[in-house]
Amino acid sequence: MKKTTVYFLLILCLIFSSSCKKWLELKPQDGIIKEEFWKTKEQVNAAVIGIYASMMESSPTPNDYGLKSYVPSLAELFFVWGECRGDNVAPATLVSGDDIELVNVNTQPTNVNTNWRPFYRIINLCNTVIEKAPEVLALDNTFTQTSLDNYLSEAHAVRALMYFYLVRSFGDVPLKLTATLSDRNIQPLAKSPKAQVLDQIVADLKLAEPKAVTNYGSPASDKGRITKYTINTILADVYLWMDKYAEAITECNKVINSQRYGLIKGATKIGSVVEYNPDWFNTLYYNGNSNEGIFELQFDAQKLNPYFPIFSPSFSTRRWVMNPQIMDVVFTVDFTNDQNYDIRADGASVRAATSSIWKYVGASATALRATDQSFAHWFFYRYADVLLMKAEALNETGAGAEALNIIYNVRKRANALDATDLLPTPADKTLIQDFILQERSREFCFEGKRWYDILRFAKRGNYTRLPILLNAVSTSVPSNLQQSAQAKMLDYNSHYFPIYLSEMQTNNLLVQNPFYR
Amino acid sequence: MKFYLNKKLIIFSFFMILVAAASAQVVIKGKVIDKAGKPIHGVSISVLDADGRILTGASSDLEGNFVIKNVDTKNKISLSSIGYKTITQNIGGRTTFNITLEDSQTDLGEVVVVARPNSNNGLVNINERNLTTAVQRINAKELEEMQASSIDQALQGRLSGVDITASSGDPGAAMNIRIRGVSSINSTGIPLIILDGMPYDTEIPGDFNFGTADEQGYAQLLNISPADIKDITVLKDAAATAIWGSRAANGVLVITTKRGSVGKPSLNYTFKGSLSLVPESIPLLNGDQYSTLMPEAYINRNGSTLNSTVFREFNYDPNDPYWYHNYSNNTNWIDAISRTGYLQDHTLSLTGGGEKAKYFASVGYFDQKGITLGTDLQRINTRINLDYTVSDKIKFFTSIAYTHTDQSRNYLGSSSSSESTIRGMAYIKMPNMSVFEYDALGNLTTNYFSPASNVQGQYSRIYNPVAMADKAIYTVLGERVVPRFQINYDIIKKVLNATFDVQFDINNTKNSSFLPQIATGRPNTETVVNRAYDGDIDVFSVSTKTNLAYTPTLKNTNHTILGFMTFLTNDYKAVYQEAMTSNTASSLLVDPSVPSRTQNSELKAVSGVNQSRSLGAILGSQYSFKDKYILNASIRADGNSRFGTDYRYGFFPSVSLRWRLSEEFFFKNIKSLDDLSLRASYGITGEIPRYDYLFYNTYSTYDYTYLGQSAIYPSRMELKNLKWQSLHGVNIGANVSLYKGRVRMDAEVYRNRTKDMFFDGLQLSGVTGFSSIFMNVGTMDNQGWEVAIWTQPVKKKDFIIGFDFNISSNENIIREISDLYPNSKGDVTQNGEYLRLLQINNPFGSFYGYKFKGVYSDKDATIARGPDGKPIIGPNGQIIYMRFGYPTIDYIFQPGDAMYEDVNHDGNINYMDVVYLGNSNPKLSGGFGPSVTYKNLKITTFFNFRLNYDVVNGTKMNTSNMYRFDNQSTAVLRRWRKEGDITDIPRGLINGGYNWLGSDNYVEDASFLRFRTITARYNFDKKILDKLKFKALSAYITAENLVTFTKYTGQDPEISTRGADPFRIAYDFSMTPPSRIVTLGLVAGF
Repeated sequence: MKKTTVYFLLILCLIFSSSCKKWLELKPQDGIIKEEFWKTKEQVNAAVIGIYASMMESSPTPNDYGLKSYVPSLAELFFVWGECRGDNVAPATLVSGDDIELVNVNTQPTNVNTNWRPFYRIINLCNTVIEKAPEVLALDNTFTQTSLDNYLSEAHAVRALMYFYLVRSFGDVPLKLTATLSDRNIQPLAKSPKAQVLDQIVADLKLAEPKAVTNYGSPASDKGRITKYTINTILADVYLWMDKYAEAITECNKVINSQRYGLIKGATKIGSVVEYNPDWFNTLYYNGNSNEGIFELQFDAQKLNPYFPIFSPSFSTRRWVMNPQIMDVVFTVDFTNDQNYDIRADGASVRAATSSIWKYVGASATALRATDQSFAHWFFYRYADVLLMKAEALNETGAGAEALNIIYNVRKRANALDATDLLPTPADKTLIQDFILQERSREFCFEGKRWYDILRFAKRGNYTRLPILLNAVSTSVPSNLQQSAQAKMLDYNSHYFPIYLSEMQTNNLLVQNPFYR
Repeated sequence: MKFYLNKKLIIFSFFMILVAAASAQVVIKGKVIDKAGKPIHGVSISVLDADGRILTGASSDLEGNFVIKNVDTKNKISLSSIGYKTITQNIGGRTTFNITLEDSQTDLGEVVVVARPNSNNGLVNINERNLTTAVQRINAKELEEMQASSIDQALQGRLSGVDITASSGDPGAAMNIRIRGVSSINSTGIPLIILDGMPYDTEIPGDFNFGTADEQGYAQLLNISPADIKDITVLKDAAATAIWGSRAANGVLVITTKRGSVGKPSLNYTFKGSLSLVPESIPLLNGDQYSTLMPEAYINRNGSTLNSTVFREFNYDPNDPYWYHNYSNNTNWIDAISRTGYLQDHTLSLTGGGEKAKYFASVGYFDQKGITLGTDLQRINTRINLDYTVSDKIKFFTSIAYTHTDQSRNYLGSSSSSESTIRGMAYIKMPNMSVFEYDALGNLTTNYFSPASNVQGQYSRIYNPVAMADKAIYTVLGERVVPRFQINYDIIKKVLNATFDVQFDINNTKNSSFLPQIATGRPNTETVVNRAYDGDIDVFSVSTKTNLAYTPTLKNTNHTILGFMTFLTNDYKAVYQEAMTSNTASSLLVDPSVPSRTQNSELKAVSGVNQSRSLGAILGSQYSFKDKYILNASIRADGNSRFGTDYRYGFFPSVSLRWRLSEEFFFKNIKSLDDLSLRASYGITGEIPRYDYLFYNTYSTYDYTYLGQSAIYPSRMELKNLKWQSLHGVNIGANVSLYKGRVRMDAEVYRNRTKDMFFDGLQLSGVTGFSSIFMNVGTMDNQGWEVAIWTQPVKKKDFIIGFDFNISSNENIIREISDLYPNSKGDVTQNGEYLRLLQINNPFGSFYGYKFKGVYSDKDATIARGPDGKPIIGPNGQIIYMRFGYPTIDYIFQPGDAMYEDVNHDGNINYMDVVYLGNSNPKLSGGFGPSVTYKNLKITTFFNFRLNYDVVNGTKMNTSNMYRFDNQSTAVLRRWRKEGDITDIPRGLINGGYNWLGSDNYVEDASFLRFRTITARYNFDKKILDKLKFKALSAYITAENLVTFTKYTGQDPEISTRGADPFRIAYDFSMTPPSRIVTLGLVAGF
């Protein structure tokens, strides 16, 4: 009997050890696992497209708006970071406390708008492509080095752009250049100094430039994906931020000389009569992907942008309205002739009647988009930007006349009113700076550039133009808080966001911005 | 005729004998009579082979005669009949058997327990006296009296170290069962249920997430009818649970259901009926008081008045009839959503059996209506347990259980703990508003009054709770079938036994919900209007168990040994699909299959499959020497598909000892001492993650394209480091039994150390590109002690007094934790938040905040004063007033604001003024229950208590902060209103100020003693029963939650901490004391 038992046990053990290994091997039936991914060029393409698509992702917690658990979407942050500390917007009545604090220069590390998570998510997607795509070259014979280079240039450029947003908003930030593929890649990471981050951005863009595509074959892809000229444009912007004007001019010239872009016809002044192009708003903003666009995030009917509930006057959830002074001060109104107006003003950037931010929600000068048509693109860069960046760099290098020439060109297209012409002399560098800053405010109203423009001009030459910031604060901050807001602005660290509390808690190498400590 | 038959038979038999003699086969015949000489009809006569297998059989006729043909003379003959003792005789050469059967009393009625009770760990039976581990048993009798829809409710408070709390008072609400605290900072903590020796799933896969459902939806999973249960054993220490390996880290509940026994069919009927009465809740403001408070609190904000043409809710203008009528009421929203709850529970069971087959069959019906409108639960369950003895060697056991559950819940849950629930909403809803809408002429209509928005906000912040309870639908339909088959084979009789089990579990749950327009009041373009949802999860699992038990009889009786080997497999598959649409054309179209709006990120149609498999092999043995030294050891190996190849297998050994001191010579002569034993054990159990496929790096797609091309992104990183969470338990215990069991005591000291503790959703630094991760984060201790005493101080024939008592203490300590884990929680610059710190090597539960010193009565009081009590003077000689959070917040305190102690006297209230406020880990908790039996009447009572327990009175905070347009308690009537007022309630201040910072104002000691239940049970006399033709009859009445003795000012001091994280503290948000419940019950046997 004992023998039988022993045999029985032996057989049992044998069965156990041989079959259980396979039996316990289970794979998910939804989703693709790493073991099956990174094998073909189509998969690389899908991963690169995934970077762009992820930039359009909705907030993971849309119902938590106003709560501390709210994580804004990336597209929302492009706006909030670029505009809400500027002087063109004002909080609407039902805006959250955190949004108001941003305006009032009272940002705390608990402010949900300082959560940089959506940016690093995109950076990780770029890092993943940069790390894994080259492996595919050996596995897929139809995958060429050229197309790998094209994909890599896109990943490097997007990564640079994300870091550019981070470095302008936070100053020093952690520089994560490797992909997080497994739980063995999640060590804490310390901040890198601003200068090092900027150098990395330049290095990434320089690496991407020669590998980049000049033409994808369709206008939508040329505007919706990174091309060589997109990279030049970003580089120009980065150089301006770094006060490297000659380099900025070189990059702008590369874009201008490509002859691929132009300004969409807006207003033409014949004598004293102004003729307006009725399709201007439609071509440039409503449809997008016009000749003027350089890089636009391609929201469409499938994937709507998050701006409708934020700006639409028909929504009680509206968070932001235009700053009341915008029509009187920024665009100005010609009271003697109502046919003489800046084409960018009422009915384009704003709708004065409802104080609305109109660029993203308007179907025409007066009609609102339907909710399901809220697919206005987010404009990273337009050709007008390249022109005005060049003007800015020229002015700094002493070529004031050439700069003014460009500025007036841009003004002419829009029929900027004479009241906004500062009439500087080519030698008056400071006044031209003011002129450019004001013109940028009109041209890129609500396009997420205002705060960065103010800060760039203010910090130039070791903050010689700090009053620009103080003036902006006096426009946007309620009078009872202005004094303390301006006092805070004297500490340069306050120009950068605090590191979000949960980041401080989960990364013990981070050091808080000293202003918020 | 009779003669003829008999004669014919005899001739026939004779002939057969001749034939049989030739082939060693005979015909046997005979007659069966009882002691009085009367023939017995219907006796089953079986011919058995050497193994006791039935070869052929017959039964006796009216005259008691029987004949069996073709019987081999080597075999045996067995005669059995209900009510008589079974007789087995060898046939030998005999052919005629005239047998007298003796009456048997023992076979009838209840089986008299001769031996000491056995305890069951689900695999082997071990005499309770010889247990080496910490286990505790509760039997069916004790469970019967409670009005409980499921066993978990019935167990509440009965067992030491077992903490069971309800997640809400609603019908079918899930219970949290915790055995010796939570073993992880992030796990459900639900113990493993072993039903008749097989694991019984109570959790659904973590990946599955019903639209709006929470854990409550799955309460039906534990629906084993209490009436079917024979006993429940709780395995508490790790050595006891180690044999259940991978799923036993949270303890094990071993449930045995009733089985048939030999005897006439016996019919049992039990009935329970109860009424739940809604207790008086905390007094709230009426409409008039509310309408006075709010404009005042609004103007305090910044001096601007509440514009009553904009906020017409407070206008009270009869010329504006629509607003006037709808907003000039004194509505009691709580009453509007409450009702008296009731419960009825009927169970009918039939047991019986003969020598070969035994059965237990039951059918039950349960019906409960909750105290909140729109909550009810109906359940039908049936069970058949069938035992069949094929031979002495082979037996099989089959059972099939079926449960059908139909539950209606509130769309948003209805526990009072949170604002988002219906009851929570009823508390904050403005009382001047009408339940039903008045039209513009001031006539009351039958429509619910659900404006799209008003001063309180809009859905989901605010809604009409009555409309939500009444018109919104949330139903959970559950079907569970558990068929089971077991075969039991004695390889060597009484020495080596093999059993093989297979169990199927088919568990289907369907959740459907509908949110009609009238409940939210929102316009038809929004997705919260007519939102229909359907979610279906079908779980199929197959488990097998192969068990070999070796129980040799040794010649030297000093040694006894027992060994077993078990092999278990489990294959679990869950298929789910969900669909949610919105804006169906009418509130009558409640199904998502109706064409309706689908395009929106919240709306969805998803489906999926999850599968997991596990294997386990156990080798165990128990050895005892002279009944004095007992050693038990086992090892279990586990394999699980939820781990990657590196960590797929886990090994869980255990060892435990018992030293029976009372058998030693130095105690031998103490007569009164039955048993005195010391026990020690050490064991390891493991736990698997809640989710499948975690170790894969997965890529997902979006539901949209970019430039028409599909996009893929990594949705989860690869978890290479994910390994078993293991629990290393040490337990030292003692058992004492005195005076023939009249005084018994169990005492245990334990430490459960959880290593490689799981954390689900550990927040990652955003820099990684991922938001959270499932990770092994650290080591935590769960330590404490528990003592349980059972006594019978008086034991006479007609009069018994019993007194049971249990007390325990448990604390959690983090020993080691990942750097990624946050080390503090709570922002003290935010109203209502307490600071909690994670301190290595310190028990959980401490919290910190400000010291509340009352209310600034006037401007002078707000002047900042230094340590010497003199006003602080600014650089320009100006007066400095007290401020909060300088320089970043810099709020200057105003008269009427809450005053906090400026601990460092710097004129600035900030984090430096935060002090220790309390600890919400009870020092002691337990229960005791005196009982008295006098003749046929038995009165049992049960009390439970908790000592030294600091609680944040969240109800006080929410009902007196006057921070929103929410209704408040009547305490705010004594608020500060004008300079000079001296009070403890600050001024109303909507959306501003710092009047309700986390301070000791809301911290209270919630020690309590609660008279939880009293039951009076009457067992009817045998004489009366005989007259009524009953076998047994008893009736009882139970009252629950009668009195609570406490100094706590809140509604319910018995609050459990929510969640498992190290920052958990006890928040009490309850607005009503627990319901008083009266139950009537009846147990009848026929």
